Amino acid sequence: MSSTSTAGAPRHGALRRTPSGLLQDWLPRIVVAPSLVVSLVFVYGFMLWTFVLSLTNSRMLPSYDFIGFAQYARLMENERWWVASTNLVVFGGLFVALCLFLGVVLAILLDQRIRQEGALRTIYLYPMALSFIVTGVVWKWLLNPSLGIEAMVQGWGFETFSFDWLVDPNMAIYTLVIAAVWQASGFVMALFLAGLRGVDDSILKAAQLDGASLPRIYWRVVMPCLRPVLFSAVMILAHIAIKSFDLVMALTGGGPGYATDLPATFMYTHTFSRAQIGLGSASAMLMLGGVLAILIPYLYCELRGRKHG
Amino acid sequence: MTMLASKRLWLAVLAWGITLVMFFPIFWMFLTGFKTEAAAVATPSLFFSPTLESYMAVLERTDYLKFAINSVIMAFGSTALALLIAVPCAYSMAFLPTPRTKGTLLWMLSTKMLPPVGVLMPIYLIFRDTGLLDSQLGLVIVYTLMNLPIVVWMLYTFFKDLPKDILEAGRMDGAGTSQEIIYLLLPLTLPGIASTGLLAIILSWNEAFWSLNLTSYDAAPLTAFIASFSSPEGLFWAKLSAASTMAIAPILVFGWLSQKQLVRGLTFGAVK
Repeated sequence: MSSTSTAGAPRHGALRRTPSGLLQDWLPRIVVAPSLVVSLVFVYGFMLWTFVLSLTNSRMLPSYDFIGFAQYARLMENERWWVASTNLVVFGGLFVALCLFLGVVLAILLDQRIRQEGALRTIYLYPMALSFIVTGVVWKWLLNPSLGIEAMVQGWGFETFSFDWLVDPNMAIYTLVIAAVWQASGFVMALFLAGLRGVDDSILKAAQLDGASLPRIYWRVVMPCLRPVLFSAVMILAHIAIKSFDLVMALTGGGPGYATDLPATFMYTHTFSRAQIGLGSASAMLMLGGVLAILIPYLYCELRGRKHG
Repeated sequence: MTMLASKRLWLAVLAWGITLVMFFPIFWMFLTGFKTEAAAVATPSLFFSPTLESYMAVLERTDYLKFAINSVIMAFGSTALALLIAVPCAYSMAFLPTPRTKGTLLWMLSTKMLPPVGVLMPIYLIFRDTGLLDSQLGLVIVYTLMNLPIVVWMLYTFFKDLPKDILEAGRMDGAGTSQEIIYLLLPLTLPGIASTGLLAIILSWNEAFWSLNLTSYDAAPLTAFIASFSSPEGLFWAKLSAASTMAIAPILVFGWLSQKQLVRGLTFGAVK
């Protein structure tokens, strides 16, 4: 306090430099702060708010009458919620596994010094640069029994060919997998290709001299080197799977019936079309809990393993 | 030798075959846009007389241009805003790191792993009360927030690779802060900032979760338009294809012109 009161009197030198010196010290933190604060408030702060809403009986408008965990209990009894959650597990699991498999295969293929590799790489990556909405539109067309692939193959003379997953409640969820894998596998390829190029050639030469076959070299020697790449690929793919919303909206709209609902579309329907803010918030929180339950152990293992390795 | 050459040929054929499969859906959509509605639902065929009918119909009978302008405003507005906030932040993290810099970065990135539905409700409520619902400003804000962690992260990886000696040399020669920024930093960092900006533009351009939830008509971008086009009027395939082709054309052109940055951007800087 006393220093501020004397600051009114101009004492040259020391005091004039102090503010700018202070600024020099604090400027780095001042410019970092907005980004950090904004992203933390935007995500963690608002999630807390969603949690509060999930404990209330809000319907059309948010109300703050707390009813404990009643919304969660309602959710547990909701059959549609279980369909949506199961779908996310099926979709997410298949999506991540197939993308990784195709991505690795494509990367190994392109690693064989194929001509025009740059052009091929870009074309493989193109789907990833598209909006999921457009992907949904394209595949809706291709998977439409009377217009797309089915009609095309039948037109070639295979009259009995049938491919109607899009309208089959039991199979429709796999159409989402097809479209999403088409969109993202080129991206996984790019990740792994970069990783492959980073593997030391001398290791490969040594393995070849020892007489190991090519598949064996890739499986035993190269893949273990790519653990960090695998880690980031899984993280990014899981992230894409969890936030899948637009693809469902564009490709199936959650249908037939609610056969392809995912938690995100479940929440959308209940919050906006059915005015169940409380229930919708509870579903968002459960989804969040599921994500954390998967991510935190994985992150923990990976980061710990890396420190020791 | 001949064994090797034939193997090589097979691999090339295989790679191009896969390329065809990957590119076919986009190509098919492109073709369908030039068909008449009747030809679009007829037995699929490569041979037809191309027409601009569907493009004309989309441009004349819908507010396509308005939605396109919305997309442009939001993509560029949010990217400019995000860069404005993120460049000083990433600069400070890369050049003046503190012990907590890594942790700060990880916290920021962690927000990208969580599903956006978790924060949809509060944002919807705030937007409703402040009149930002279905407004361009509202979506610009949301897109900025959405992309900020990735933009900071990418800029950080670019800035970290810059040679720090140059800056020190400049300081030794008595360059002031403003000179340092204009003559040294700007030329060095511009490529990184440009490709980060490109990625942010693509991400905003493609975004659909927020645009579907927070806009209805006035501020709807192309993604929301195409989504709404596809549900009630699902039978107008040629027009839908024409509209979609126009919506992705800028991205495909951008992508071809900047292949390297696109790869780096989409892989979050993992591929250089």
